[in-house]
Amino acid sequence: MVAQTETASAKHYAPVRARRPTDFDLTLPALGLLALFFVLPVAILLTRSVTEPVPGLGNYAELLGSSTYLRVFANTFAVSGLVTFISLLIGFPVAWALAIMPSRLASVVFAILLLSMWTNLLARTYAWMVLLQRTGVINKLLIGMGLIDQPLPLVNNLTGVTIGMTYIMLPFIILPLYGVIRKIDPAILQAAALCGANRWQSLVRVLLPLAMPGMAAGALMVFVMSLGYFVTPALLGGTANMMLAELIAQFVQSLVNWGMGGAAALVLLVVTLALYAVQLRFFGTDRLGGR
Amino acid sequence: MLLNFDRLGWWKLVLIGITLATTAFLLLPILFIAALSFGSSQWLIFPPPGWTLKWYQELLADPRWLQSAWTSFRIAIIVTVLSVLLGLVTSFGLTRGRFPFREALKALFLTPMILPVVVLAVALYAFFLQIGLNGTLTGFVISHLVLALPFSILSISSALEGFDKSIEDAAVLCGASPLEARIRVTLPAISHGIFSAAIFSFLTSWDEVVVAIFMSSPTLQTLPVKIWATLRQDLTPVVAAASTLLILLTVLLMLLVAVIRKGLKS
Repeated sequence: MVAQTETASAKHYAPVRARRPTDFDLTLPALGLLALFFVLPVAILLTRSVTEPVPGLGNYAELLGSSTYLRVFANTFAVSGLVTFISLLIGFPVAWALAIMPSRLASVVFAILLLSMWTNLLARTYAWMVLLQRTGVINKLLIGMGLIDQPLPLVNNLTGVTIGMTYIMLPFIILPLYGVIRKIDPAILQAAALCGANRWQSLVRVLLPLAMPGMAAGALMVFVMSLGYFVTPALLGGTANMMLAELIAQFVQSLVNWGMGGAAALVLLVVTLALYAVQLRFFGTDRLGGR
Repeated sequence: MLLNFDRLGWWKLVLIGITLATTAFLLLPILFIAALSFGSSQWLIFPPPGWTLKWYQELLADPRWLQSAWTSFRIAIIVTVLSVLLGLVTSFGLTRGRFPFREALKALFLTPMILPVVVLAVALYAFFLQIGLNGTLTGFVISHLVLALPFSILSISSALEGFDKSIEDAAVLCGASPLEARIRVTLPAISHGIFSAAIFSFLTSWDEVVVAIFMSSPTLQTLPVKIWATLRQDLTPVVAAASTLLILLTVLLMLLVAVIRKGLKS
């Protein structure tokens, strides 16, 4: 479809464009910026992963052969998967409710979603550090209600990271899902009801399948974003459950090991790009983005 | 009927319940931090035993906080201006141009948005070590510009795609030069896109922390890096005060966006 409109307008505008500097020239400054300060640095870093300290694939062998590093990979995937799953579980009913709510109520929920999304990441992570600490509100509340005797360890572990990350990822799953559910024709569900489906059957056999592309796209996006997250895991997680981004930072900052840092960066990069390629292939480009 | 709010029956209550709970989950931590920033307890006890402004006084009395805020602000403003200018030029090229690999080029321009920030941070850090740009304002501006530009290109491109080019052509037919037509006809028509490009660019730079952690030096650090460094030591309520000011800024910018959008509609 895109190709069609292109040729049509190309015919239309061709005589005008031939006389002025081409539009392609306009993209050159930005292209230069990206080539010099994006493509080149990343390329250099990746090159260093196979040249330092000695040429070869030694860094990758060490990275994929050590149980310590493999544990970091496993943990990264586990945390990302868990965060994605919980976000989807909470996000689906919220997106569904948003799509059919009276618009006044929906706009309040939207405002809060956007506020949370744009509030400084560190401010939000800090809030959870305070809320989840041993003497924090959550522990006090649980003790006050008589549910527990001793404060639960909620930060510097998997629980802390999962809560903090889910908090940050929720808007990124709700917004695209909302778009998809909104586009579903209510008549289809009426038809299902007329054909004798009860609510539960309509949900499982009509609404969920129709929303599936949105769920898959949103889930993939949250998963990929989680894989590369640095700040929240570093502040809410513990030493026992380090994530990949922290490992990369550690190689570079404290160990000054550029070879290993580059190798770990390449692994993260390849996984990320591969998953985005899946997303582009199956769901189009329109839902890419987020912060 | 599952998509008809009034005919959901008791399911309606469940959906509304989950939505309200989630909304509270998203909103309460933000309000909680704002409340604690006025609380008198050093240990962030909630509800606070008393109310005070001392954390704000401490924040404003410390030149390092002010300095890092000023650094952040300067960087964000420069990044915003450059990102909008560059985004504008690039968007014109991308939306109007008919050249091979246009889609691929567009994808390339958006890659910094999807690439894990830590990879870019480490790569730029290594590169800037070699050319001496770490810990400099230029280094910060360049790296934040790389991150902000995709948002700028996205906002302006989509505004430009929604603009009917024949209006610009009409201006040219009426005697305006092509450049004049773009500046005096097209730019005002896509001003909402330019405006959101500016807001997104500003917030991207202002809030950016991962690249800044690597880029900063003892003499030059941004506000998020200062918060980060403080948080690694303890949870002091001064951070609550700083966070509250940041939240306030976000609210103001969002209101500004809402007002402008409303103004456009009417």
